[in-house]
Amino acid sequence: MWAYFINLAVLISINAILAVTLNFILGYAGIFSIAHALFFGVGAYTATFVAMKFGAGFLTATAAGMLLAALISLALALPALRVRGEYFVAASLGLQMLAVTIFTEWKSVTGGIGGLTNIPPARLFGFAVTQPEHFLLLSLLALGLIVLVIRALVRSSFGRSLKAIRDDETAAWAYGKNVAIIKTTAVVVSSALAAVAGSLYAFYLSFINVESFVLDTSIQLMAMVIIGGTATLLGPLIGTVLILLLPAALSYLPYLPVTEIGSIQQIVYGLAMVLLMIYRPGGLWGFQDAPPSSKSGTA
Amino acid sequence: MLLLQLLINGLQLGAIYALTAVGFSLIFGATKIFHVAHGAAFTIAAYLFWWTTAVKGWPWPLAAGLAVLAAVVFGLAMERFIYRPIQRHEGAFFTVFIAAFGVQIIVQNLIGTVFGRGFVSVTTPLSRSVEVLPGLFVAPVAALAIVLAVVGFTGLTIYLARTHWGMAMRALSENPDLIRVFGLDPGRVAQYAFAIGSAIVVPGAIFTAMTAGLNPAVGAHVMLISLAATIVGGIGSLRGAAYGGLLLGLAENLALWRLDPQWSEAVTFVVLFLFIIFRPAGFFGRPHAAK
Amino acid sequence: MSEAGEILLQATGVAKTFGGLKAVDDVSFSLRSGIITTLVGPNGAGKTTLFNLMTGHLIPDRGEVTWLGQSILGLPHWKIARLGIGRSFQDLKLFANMTVAENIETVTERGSWLWQPGGRPARQARREKLEAVLAATGLAPKRNARAVDLAYAERKFLSLARIMASGARLWLLDEPASGLDPGSYQSFLALLRQQVREGVTICIIEHNLDIVQGISDRIAFLDQGRLLAEGDPKTILSDPALAAIYFGERAV
Repeated sequence: MWAYFINLAVLISINAILAVTLNFILGYAGIFSIAHALFFGVGAYTATFVAMKFGAGFLTATAAGMLLAALISLALALPALRVRGEYFVAASLGLQMLAVTIFTEWKSVTGGIGGLTNIPPARLFGFAVTQPEHFLLLSLLALGLIVLVIRALVRSSFGRSLKAIRDDETAAWAYGKNVAIIKTTAVVVSSALAAVAGSLYAFYLSFINVESFVLDTSIQLMAMVIIGGTATLLGPLIGTVLILLLPAALSYLPYLPVTEIGSIQQIVYGLAMVLLMIYRPGGLWGFQDAPPSSKSGTA
Repeated sequence: MLLLQLLINGLQLGAIYALTAVGFSLIFGATKIFHVAHGAAFTIAAYLFWWTTAVKGWPWPLAAGLAVLAAVVFGLAMERFIYRPIQRHEGAFFTVFIAAFGVQIIVQNLIGTVFGRGFVSVTTPLSRSVEVLPGLFVAPVAALAIVLAVVGFTGLTIYLARTHWGMAMRALSENPDLIRVFGLDPGRVAQYAFAIGSAIVVPGAIFTAMTAGLNPAVGAHVMLISLAATIVGGIGSLRGAAYGGLLLGLAENLALWRLDPQWSEAVTFVVLFLFIIFRPAGFFGRPHAAK
Repeated sequence: MSEAGEILLQATGVAKTFGGLKAVDDVSFSLRSGIITTLVGPNGAGKTTLFNLMTGHLIPDRGEVTWLGQSILGLPHWKIARLGIGRSFQDLKLFANMTVAENIETVTERGSWLWQPGGRPARQARREKLEAVLAATGLAPKRNARAVDLAYAERKFLSLARIMASGARLWLLDEPASGLDPGSYQSFLALLRQQVREGVTICIIEHNLDIVQGISDRIAFLDQGRLLAEGDPKTILSDPALAAIYFGERAV
């Protein structure tokens, strides 16, 4: 029982990192990315590669993952954000699909469909993190640090710029904000931090495969952020807990066919999203109104 | 010969994509709503057609009619029960997008639960390929798809140019303020846009049912293509969306000449990305203010 | 009334068509420093579109726009803003979920990086600017209120506060005082006049002819996208033909 809780806690903290970083761009900046799972994957695969090929420790492996994720997100964001928000949605969706194909086909690096096994445990300052309890400490520490970083950014001038862009992009342009660069920076930060979650995930499970980094994962992450509450620090944490506990909760309902649990989960997300958007766009923990203001008015 | 075969296949697929993309572009242009549930209309129409013909054995004109009805009802229901209440508060891109996304997820999973997740298709005499030239197989339905796409698009163009509501839709996509100046009701125009935009996916849905087959994720795939086609063609241009769809259908098939099938989605993304970098306005879009 | 100085912003022969409708049709118009120019005309005359064309929010189909003699055509909107051209919107476009103080602060934070350049002195300067603007607009008591929660008049003043905080040399105001009660309206105008004394140039789009009479040093009259007249207030306001157009009795 204890092991079950520890395991759940680690998974929650890893997913919470993903939710908090996604919220940074979705909730605070109004940027829609359906590619978050792919940066999770980039972090995981890169950390694994660096650890297995070069015997790197946890910090180095994670840093490598962050760097690669930052570069890829830069390549995605710079052209797409320069134009309009809708383009970024399409581009991120396309990139996510492309990434899944690459993860599946690039067998030498990603192990293809089978994935990568026997990933060595995380090594931190000479100490190998093998006990789940120790790993929980590590992941909570990482989550805590990331939350602090995001919090600091949100409260800074950069955070104000993001919120201004989210609230009214036209006005942001009109007051001298280089919206494209600011949004791109936000995406790069968010993606690099998501890679940290990937590294943690790989070291914790000692096994990764493409199934964890597909479109459905991106959707689940979006659900966590939206349902929990955008543009607040606590919201995505709440959302993560709710979403991760959902399968367990559903398994208590006797009349649900087990094969359909996955679908039913998704239907629940979908319903929650729709109902929330109509009645409480800020999410469960957010403002009553959704962050971005109306785009009406004469131009 | 393989190349010619792929070209034909590409045209057929491109015709389907073109129709769906035009539907999406029409709705977005007229209402500024990013209707990512558009793919769900496709899925619903396709599965309804399949179920009524292949499972229930009803005559296909009836099935087609029902599919059109279902698509239109879906589009109107989205407008009335989802988008309109949201737009009453503040109707931001965010909220509309997520709600549509939520609907798309619900529809996809409901269909998967009810009809199963495997591939299903409708076989008719029309879908059987005929060897037109040595090594070149064309199904009559392919020709029909292309013809219908052209007819449908021409019809739509005439509608938009000649009828009252059609012109209103064009005006709205150019400049939302013009609508107020002309005293039209944006709500009604939106309804027409959703009805027509959703109906226009039905031929593509039916053809897909008859050729490649269906699975619940087909709507999502079509949605990505419509999105890409709208951008490649230029936001605000229906002609562009049609050509964009055609281009993507061709690209997806011609890629098979050299690449394995699992890379076809990658090809779509590469085309999209190239356009975003080099010609963000698309084929026919107007370059926006250098922001 | 103030005397006009050098030409700050000049539009020459700009035109913009939307799907067959000529929103702005061959307009040539200049804004001189040190004065308040008012842009008047019936609804739909193209006034806001003209502002959009002059600030880089829209690209003209034809024509040229220059700032202090240099062409700014095709420059992105944010660069034009940083040149010193500030703009307010008819629908205000406040940053709804941010507080009053944040709305003003973010305008003073011009850098796009994760931190602002200039270190402590720059931060001090920004803080002083914030306090000055809050004091001038009377918004100090509401500094921590969310913009969406403000009263109507307060929102109008916040819109003005933002442009004030931007340090812009030229202010393009789109119906900034419409709907204000007489008391607020007087403070508003007094604030504008004070700013002009301190070196700001203002161009206002305005409907209310009393307001126009009260503050204009120059008036430009737009109708159906064309600049019909430009000159000193007395002449323009006493022209019966223009009055007829303004009040709707068009000679077709």
